[in-house]
Amino acid sequence: MRNRSLTSRILLNVLAWSIVFVIAFPLVWMILTSVKPQFELFRIPPTILPQEVTFEHYHRVLVETPFLKYFRNSVILAVGTTVLVIVIATLGAHSLVRFSYPGRERLAQLVLFTYLLPSVVLIIPLYLLMVWLGIANTLFSLMLAYTTFALPFALWLLRSFMQGIPQDLEAAALVDGASRMEAFVDVILPQAVPGIISTALFTFILAWNEYLYALVLVNTDEARPLTTGVMNMLITAFNIEWSLLMAASVMMSLPVIIVFALLQKHLTRGFGAGGVKG
Amino acid sequence: MAEVTFDKVRKAFGSAVAVRELDLAIRSGEFVSLLGPSGCGKTTTLRMLAGLETPTSGAISIDGTVVNELAPAKRDIAMVFQSYALYPHMSVAQNIAYPLKKRGVSRADRDVRVAAVAATLQLGALLDRKPRQLSGGQQQRVALGRALVRDPRVFLLDEPLSNLDAKLRAHMRAELIELHRRIGKTMVYVTHDQLEAMTMSDRIAVMHDGVLQQFGTPKEVYETPANLFVASFIGSPGMNLVKGELRAAGSGLAFVRGDLSLPVANGGTAGAAVTLGVRPEDITLGAGPFACTIRVVEPTGHETIVMAEAAGETLVARAAPDSQLVPGQVVPFAVRAQRLHAFDADGRRLPLVFAQSNGA
Amino acid sequence: MLLSSQYAALGVLLIAPTVLVFCAVIVYPLVSAIYLSLFSIYTPTLQGKWVGLDNYAKLLASGEFWGALRVTLVWTIGTLVLQLVFGIALALLLHQNLVFRSLARGLILFPYFVSTVVAVLVWRWLFNDLYGILNHVLLAAGLIDMPLDWLGQMPNAMVSLILVGAWKYFPFVVITVLARLQTIPDHLYEAAEMDGAGPVARFFDVTLPQLRDVLLVVILLRAIWDFKEFDLIWLMTGGGPVTSTQTLPLLVYRSAFGLNEMGGASAVAVLMMLVMLVFMALYIRAQRQE
Repeated sequence: MRNRSLTSRILLNVLAWSIVFVIAFPLVWMILTSVKPQFELFRIPPTILPQEVTFEHYHRVLVETPFLKYFRNSVILAVGTTVLVIVIATLGAHSLVRFSYPGRERLAQLVLFTYLLPSVVLIIPLYLLMVWLGIANTLFSLMLAYTTFALPFALWLLRSFMQGIPQDLEAAALVDGASRMEAFVDVILPQAVPGIISTALFTFILAWNEYLYALVLVNTDEARPLTTGVMNMLITAFNIEWSLLMAASVMMSLPVIIVFALLQKHLTRGFGAGGVKG
Repeated sequence: MAEVTFDKVRKAFGSAVAVRELDLAIRSGEFVSLLGPSGCGKTTTLRMLAGLETPTSGAISIDGTVVNELAPAKRDIAMVFQSYALYPHMSVAQNIAYPLKKRGVSRADRDVRVAAVAATLQLGALLDRKPRQLSGGQQQRVALGRALVRDPRVFLLDEPLSNLDAKLRAHMRAELIELHRRIGKTMVYVTHDQLEAMTMSDRIAVMHDGVLQQFGTPKEVYETPANLFVASFIGSPGMNLVKGELRAAGSGLAFVRGDLSLPVANGGTAGAAVTLGVRPEDITLGAGPFACTIRVVEPTGHETIVMAEAAGETLVARAAPDSQLVPGQVVPFAVRAQRLHAFDADGRRLPLVFAQSNGA
Repeated sequence: MLLSSQYAALGVLLIAPTVLVFCAVIVYPLVSAIYLSLFSIYTPTLQGKWVGLDNYAKLLASGEFWGALRVTLVWTIGTLVLQLVFGIALALLLHQNLVFRSLARGLILFPYFVSTVVAVLVWRWLFNDLYGILNHVLLAAGLIDMPLDWLGQMPNAMVSLILVGAWKYFPFVVITVLARLQTIPDHLYEAAEMDGAGPVARFFDVTLPQLRDVLLVVILLRAIWDFKEFDLIWLMTGGGPVTSTQTLPLLVYRSAFGLNEMGGASAVAVLMMLVMLVFMALYIRAQRQE
């Protein structure tokens, strides 16, 4: 960086950090609201920092609502989807990158196309399919539905990671006496581990945050994940208890924050490959 | 010990042909270089021999057995890659032991053999390191160790020295020569560096545009290049090439270009277009029947490279380091007739014998 | 068997699970969506009857489809422009030597990773007409003299949506642009500076041309994703007031599960995909050129 005067650097920092603060404010506000007593929310003028910190809303969310059940469903769903998708996509990406057979290029393009496909186009036939198979209203049906966006995403990202592994490594393993599968297991897979981990983390976040399929395919608390579950708490409540909802929101975001912290290092790579969809 | 034969081997990638009808017979224990500019098909040839590419047509055999459809693992070959291709997640010891592991050698045996190879390559102290903790030269040794540990029939080396600095490269060149002398295995060495090919090989296969141009000893390739490509590719600075034609002169023929005329003692037909080749060391400046104007003088220390103009051509000559030439100076020169080369209009070598012209 | 065929067979074997899943959950539903759009289907009983292209004819003649398309375009263009402006500006800012730069980066990215449900809950609380902090701040600052109804009336609802959309998705622009900025060699700036270019000229003559390719990809991707956005809009306004923020994805959902007209809903979905195909084709072409 070129030299700048001290004042202009201070100004720059103040400007940048004020913008960062404005952007982060809704999330700060979420946390602040969640620890304020209910009556404090309705003060006029409102308090910025809580005058009294309370965790009663967290306690109530956990004890009085089906939050824990939703949370469990979300964990099963996100982990299940991630494992399913990563296994299939790792094999598939390896095939797309290192093998040649008729139709391979077309398939790679199809992956990209499906990656951009809107869920609403697929949702009606998928709903009918799940009903027909008799698995509507189950976590498994959601897992299947989630592969529609998670699999193309994971394939595309893993493909770009695996293209970065030098061709010579596999060639060396083959010459050294490995079969192609052995070369994959002994040499390619260990090299792909960082890529697989970050793809898995991205996939986890995608599945954790999914809303539309959960809305359409599940209407029982037994299989409802957090996204639709927490939203239901808003809609069904007689009067909206914002502090309760904010407490639920904070807890719902915790896994994402943890995964996000783990991802920091690989973030750019994931984005660069057309990463995380929105 | 193993012979390697290429019989009319062709390799095409889609419509692009990488190697055309290659015939090559490599003798057991021979050190053969595949030499050529990038894109000439030399690496593809090596990769076909390794089993990493399948020939489009033709047959590759090792010891008389066609290996075209044999997986690399079953060919009993070892290869050193230009990128070294060391397994980044394995230690040096694990890297060297990997080929043994894949062949079911017991752990105890592996340790003994890795230790032995490490000792010859002075890698003993580095066995627990990961490849990224090694210098380029050390990585190169590990790659070599991984090839050596197994005692394969054929060694393949794909530009193994190109990523090393000049000093280390000279050192490794000597080591590879010594290594080949000691183990006596068939080695196929791909390089674009003629110095490597000339110094190390028993024979050199010069390739260009997927076609084998000449296969011979370094001496043959240098002294009797089969065609214009070989003539111009081998040697540094390159051979001077002068286009002219054969004309009747007195009782015989002479190569004529402008006011330059060289009598031909044997061969050739009058009127034929001929390219004359003269290596820089075969031009003697200071005396002789011809005259040239000095343009550039480049002293390199052990010799001086001189660019001079004669008959509208720029000629490059080697001169002694103490020569007192200056640009603009007009000096006489001679060429050594018995060392001249001639090529026909299609670039093929012509069996012309030149007569020493008077005055040299 | 030939070595190359063995390899090809292994490659096909490895991709087989992918192809299988693709066929089951993507290709089949996609084809099926087109097929369903030719029927009139009552959702609760799933009884259908063949109507041919009637659904399409009805749609193209109805104001609802065109209205939804217009709303979708307003939303997409509005939020995309904001995302780009904020995204590029912040990327340039974050590219400077800031204190705690990685913390700032992390905080800015967070809206992108947080669930849309959480984002909407927080914003609806911020937008709350009586107790929302936004109205309080604006009232206290004297910018408004009555609490604003952020989501219940037009054009407020659309403006709010566009703002929240920009807040949620601009980090994507920041991170991709930032990654590209970091690869622009310093000597380009030094050369421009020596040629007498000021900061503004350097931005337009050096930075922007270097960002061209990455911006093209970002614009296409974000346009596709914003166009098909469902969660954010559905949860913020539900398409309201009345249908003034009802985008095409919402129209699909509402026709299928609110009006119980699955065939008609499929027709909307298919038409929507046709519009998107243009962007998709452009994006796939841009990717292939890389």
